[in-house]
Amino acid sequence: MAQFKPGTVLKTQLGLPVVIDSYIAGGGQGDVYKVTYEGTKKALKWYKTGVFKNPEAFRKNLENNVRKGAPDKSFLWPEAVALAGDGSGSFGYIMDLRPDSFKELTYFLCTSGGGGFKSFKAVVEAGIKIVSAFRLLHINGYSYQDMNSGNFFIDPDTGNVLICDNDNVAPNGTNTGIVGTPQYMAPEIVVGKATPSARTDEFSLAVVLFMLLFTGHPLEGAHWAVPCLTPDIEKALYGNNALFILDPGDSSNRPVKGVHNNVLRIWGFMPQYVKDIFIKAFSQEAIKDPNRRIKELDWLKVLVRFQSDIVRCPYCRNEIFVIGASSTKCDRCGRLYEVKNKLKLYEYSVTAAKNTRIYRCQLGICNAADALNPAAHVVAKNDNPDLLGLRNVSNTVVSASTPSGKVNQVKPGEIIPLKAGISVKVFDGSIDIQ
Amino acid sequence: MPDIENTETIARKLLPIIYVLDTSGSMEGDRIAAVNLAMSETMEVLKDVSKNNPSAELKIGVLKFDSGSQWITDSGFVFMEDFFWNDLKAGGLTDLGSALKELDDKMSRKKFLNSEVGYKVPVLIFMSDGQPTDDYKSALKKINASNKWFKASTKIAIAVGDDADTEVLKEIVGNSEAVIRVNDLETLKRLIKVASVTASMIGSKSRTDSDAQSEILNSIQQDAGVKLDKSDDVSPKPAPAPDPEPDTFDADDPWGDDKWD
Repeated sequence: MAQFKPGTVLKTQLGLPVVIDSYIAGGGQGDVYKVTYEGTKKALKWYKTGVFKNPEAFRKNLENNVRKGAPDKSFLWPEAVALAGDGSGSFGYIMDLRPDSFKELTYFLCTSGGGGFKSFKAVVEAGIKIVSAFRLLHINGYSYQDMNSGNFFIDPDTGNVLICDNDNVAPNGTNTGIVGTPQYMAPEIVVGKATPSARTDEFSLAVVLFMLLFTGHPLEGAHWAVPCLTPDIEKALYGNNALFILDPGDSSNRPVKGVHNNVLRIWGFMPQYVKDIFIKAFSQEAIKDPNRRIKELDWLKVLVRFQSDIVRCPYCRNEIFVIGASSTKCDRCGRLYEVKNKLKLYEYSVTAAKNTRIYRCQLGICNAADALNPAAHVVAKNDNPDLLGLRNVSNTVVSASTPSGKVNQVKPGEIIPLKAGISVKVFDGSIDIQ
Repeated sequence: MPDIENTETIARKLLPIIYVLDTSGSMEGDRIAAVNLAMSETMEVLKDVSKNNPSAELKIGVLKFDSGSQWITDSGFVFMEDFFWNDLKAGGLTDLGSALKELDDKMSRKKFLNSEVGYKVPVLIFMSDGQPTDDYKSALKKINASNKWFKASTKIAIAVGDDADTEVLKEIVGNSEAVIRVNDLETLKRLIKVASVTASMIGSKSRTDSDAQSEILNSIQQDAGVKLDKSDDVSPKPAPAPDPEPDTFDADDPWGDDKWD
């Protein structure tokens, strides 16, 4: 229910006016309005009174976040704290409005046909964007605390992501009072042994990625398909007896045919290295030991590799997951997708197809902050889509050596012809065209 | 590769929200009109909410009681999107015991609770403005003794007006805090809406640290502006009745499939 009428003026802590335009939506903790602030349309989240045990501490944390600024542009980050002028102590915060093209992850999960995702490539792109945002959040010493499908807004055409609900983000180790959302909480929180932290975020992140790729929950298999999910069973399922539905060593919680169809269908198509990282993320070791969770850098390595293994069939436009960077049969039209060239990287090779992107984390050891620094993109010639080249998208001059030993300096933005035998030195690694 | 168009909606548990509504003679007039209005508005809101609930699909059950009791949803609980409210008429006695017998009969895997995906703990919302006119005690004893679904359910009761027997409702929901007394019809309408919407989102929203019943009660306090009656009960919570059938699961089968009728 709208508490403020259009035209109501609130003030930020610095005394700047915030004018209510319209009511957008209500939620558990409060309402969201469209407002005008500093001449721009923004969103205002306004809290109900009585939702916090310690409103003072919550507001201080918000102010702290405002001061420090967003770790990544994907976050719809608090820009200013707004206060009620009536002495009630009520408050809210201002953030960017979300464009209409972005839809909640919940919507994609609850809508058949993938909710309008144009391609698996876009799904994977969303995964990369999410991991990348949390990598920066964690590098900055924060924990997010309450990851769930309502936080993520995704553009189904591009896979671009906006992350909202950043009001519980706090310095790692500080708890704002939130426990989390069922299904996403780390097992140690479910059983009441821990409060949210960067380590529990890592577990939640793995759940989000699994949900995104498989439209199913990693712990909901046969153990979930009981007549009644009582609080005790939930505690076992997500807590002390949590078991990955595809755990190689224990098949007692497998997906149920007719119920968990998405996972059953999609898992088989996944390249082994994608399966492997999920098996590791939900291994008993990672479930039980918060220090053995998958780090963002490792997710990034796998997801950028996976993304370059997804190509379009030139005949029927179906997406194909290329296996081992070698020619793969299209499972819709049955014709062979021919891999003409591949790019040999630090640990593996990827298909050289239009739009293949190479990042620093694929070229050798690097730290998480540099992982997504772009190195090279495969581009096609305008008037001849079959003629491919490798564009230097790094910010430095790179050297490309031909089989005959000739070395060329390639400036940022320049293109290297995609010919077998050419080796490109970029960052501390190399891309060998094969 | 998997065709994205073949992706189904995520597997979700079914969440039954069951209304047990007093339609006795004393409800006639303003009261039943308020209930009808609140229910038809609530159902529209729930349709929106349930579409985007990532963890459960809502199913609605409505059981009315006056001289005897009758399911409005008589062929089983109905998926939210297929449910439309039909106005109830009031008249007759207050046979709460008959309603409990009906619940006991239909809250069973053999009747209304059959499903492949299974259920979340049902939510039961009772509403009454009077005193039982039949033997509710033996019906309550029986359902508490033998119906695991009923016992596990999250229960809330709304006592309308001064003549409502809150003691009876407390016995049924097993917790004095979960009986909410309302005297004016505006509050009644708000209460029905807030309790229903909160119930429909149980388990899918961020939590601080509380169980399902307190979640509903908290939002009733915050959103419907209703003060909960805690004064007349000295003991904080009545001790749960001893279980005639233990609730624990067999060691061989920790997931306890077969224990649910």
